[in-house]
Amino acid sequence: MSKAHRETIFVEQADIIEHIAYEGGQYVMRVNAPEIAQHAKAGQFAHISCDPMLAMRRPISIMRVSHQHGWVDFLYKAIGRGTKLLATRKAGEQISIMGPIGNPFKIDPDRPRALLIGGGVGMPPMVFLAETLKASSGNKPLAILGSEVPFPFTRRPSTIMVPGMPDGVIAGMPLLEDWNIPCRLASLQGYAGCFEGYVTDLARHWLKALSEEQRNEVIIYSCGPHPMLEAVAKLASEYNLPCQVSLEEFMACAVGGCAGCVVEVKTEHGPVMKRVCVDGPVFNAEQVF
Amino acid sequence: MNDTDKVMLATDFCGMAFQSPIVLLSGCVGFGEEYTRVKGFSNRDVGAVCLKGTTLESRLGNKPHRIYETPMGMLNAIGLQNPGGEYVVNDILPKLDFEETRFIANLAGSTIEDYVALARIFNDSPIDAMEINISCPNVKQGGMAFGNNPEMSARVVAACRAVTDKPIITKLSPNQTDIAENAYRCIEAGTDGFAVINTLMGMAIDIENRSPIIGNNQGGLSGPAIKPIALLKVHQVYQVCREHAIPIIGQGGISTAEDAIEFLIAGASAIGIGTALFYDPLVSSKINAGIIDYLKRNDMTNVAELTGSLRLNG
Repeated sequence: MSKAHRETIFVEQADIIEHIAYEGGQYVMRVNAPEIAQHAKAGQFAHISCDPMLAMRRPISIMRVSHQHGWVDFLYKAIGRGTKLLATRKAGEQISIMGPIGNPFKIDPDRPRALLIGGGVGMPPMVFLAETLKASSGNKPLAILGSEVPFPFTRRPSTIMVPGMPDGVIAGMPLLEDWNIPCRLASLQGYAGCFEGYVTDLARHWLKALSEEQRNEVIIYSCGPHPMLEAVAKLASEYNLPCQVSLEEFMACAVGGCAGCVVEVKTEHGPVMKRVCVDGPVFNAEQVF
Repeated sequence: MNDTDKVMLATDFCGMAFQSPIVLLSGCVGFGEEYTRVKGFSNRDVGAVCLKGTTLESRLGNKPHRIYETPMGMLNAIGLQNPGGEYVVNDILPKLDFEETRFIANLAGSTIEDYVALARIFNDSPIDAMEINISCPNVKQGGMAFGNNPEMSARVVAACRAVTDKPIITKLSPNQTDIAENAYRCIEAGTDGFAVINTLMGMAIDIENRSPIIGNNQGGLSGPAIKPIALLKVHQVYQVCREHAIPIIGQGGISTAEDAIEFLIAGASAIGIGTALFYDPLVSSKINAGIIDYLKRNDMTNVAELTGSLRLNG
């Protein structure tokens, strides 16, 4: 039989290089994990041992990697016991990280207009995907990021025109702008330069401004809170656009062994339970919503 | 590991040659290949791999959440998600490498007829042994688990015994009054070995919405939290097994070599690893190394010398 699945996940004792706190309990952590950095693709995650006092690992999306320097970046929010303990870990300490895990986003060369919609701690896979897409010149992606706590970066007025954007919606993420990928931000909190509303409402403004021909080139990728993903899936269905969503669930093994992290997926043979860890975390939206 | 070390770990379990006393437990390692995704993990590091609980017909399993971490352990209620016995035998077993380790099927049913049908299916397969999971609710008897009642446990074992010569390992539940009595009845009914213990039933509640966190409301508690309970149960079952030379897989919260050695001393011939894999997928080789080190320090030549070597306080 094919043993292609074997030895695709690495367990690394990773040094924390940098661990920066942002408002709203958000943290960006950079660790040295060369094997994971070398193999990770956008949409995959790592299973992190947050603290020696807490045995179970926590699945956290990968935001960026450096093949050259061997580092991996994570953005997470300290919400539960695991992430709160992780937030106490300091640069110079070591943590055990397993990764990369799961199916990455599938890039469709026939759909160069990738619309990346990320909400809250769903932003990291979108950043990773944006960095992946920038490598290929034919792509014309747009990232729309939403947050109800201050964004974990300094917002910057975008220098890249985006059709359909309402007046004043000019703020973007510097990292993406530096990669020449247009980005716009949405929030209900009234942050300057951001769209006041949901990410899906802002996405609709953009879709409406495209010609039919242009819309046929659109594919949506999304990660974020469940209600947001549901709204994204509805938007995709409304415009008949392919849409891939990245999901999360409580997870134990993260290698497909325990079937603890399942999501109900629609198939032609009826519903089946798929493991978020190795059958996902990326699923076609119409299968899960 | 050198050849001397290999000899120290090699042990017989129900007539099966185990290259290590470690058994990877049912429900934690899918259908045998899942953990091989991890670099450094090998099925060759363990004596046997126990496959996911299998029912006669395929099952979707429970709604999420299926797992939740609790202090020093975790709750799970997977609900026996599996593709059914025929599929396991026809589509999964041919893909397993039986050169690497022994593979044990885990049979789960709601009626005695289910167990018998499954035992027949696996009897005509390359599987090395069958573990009878008697913690499932018995539909005909109103939902009570077979495993909580010695009489019903024995009936399941006897019915399976009648249709297979492959080793039968009975997985005993800790959720019962007298586990030793149950073990005795299962030995009479023809079991070749035991797995002691299955999970303890538990619950966790989300106080904000006052609902159980686990989709199934209750789940099985595993992990280090249950280790002292499991150890005592192994000790109790060993008192019955000793005179009949029936071996035990001791399991429940083992995550280090020291834990494993405690279970061996209490009476286990093999030790099961489940939840600890979730903490450290490479734990098996570390436990093997720790056992070898202990045997050497104590001038022992084989792990079997530890089994039941407990010196009770006067």
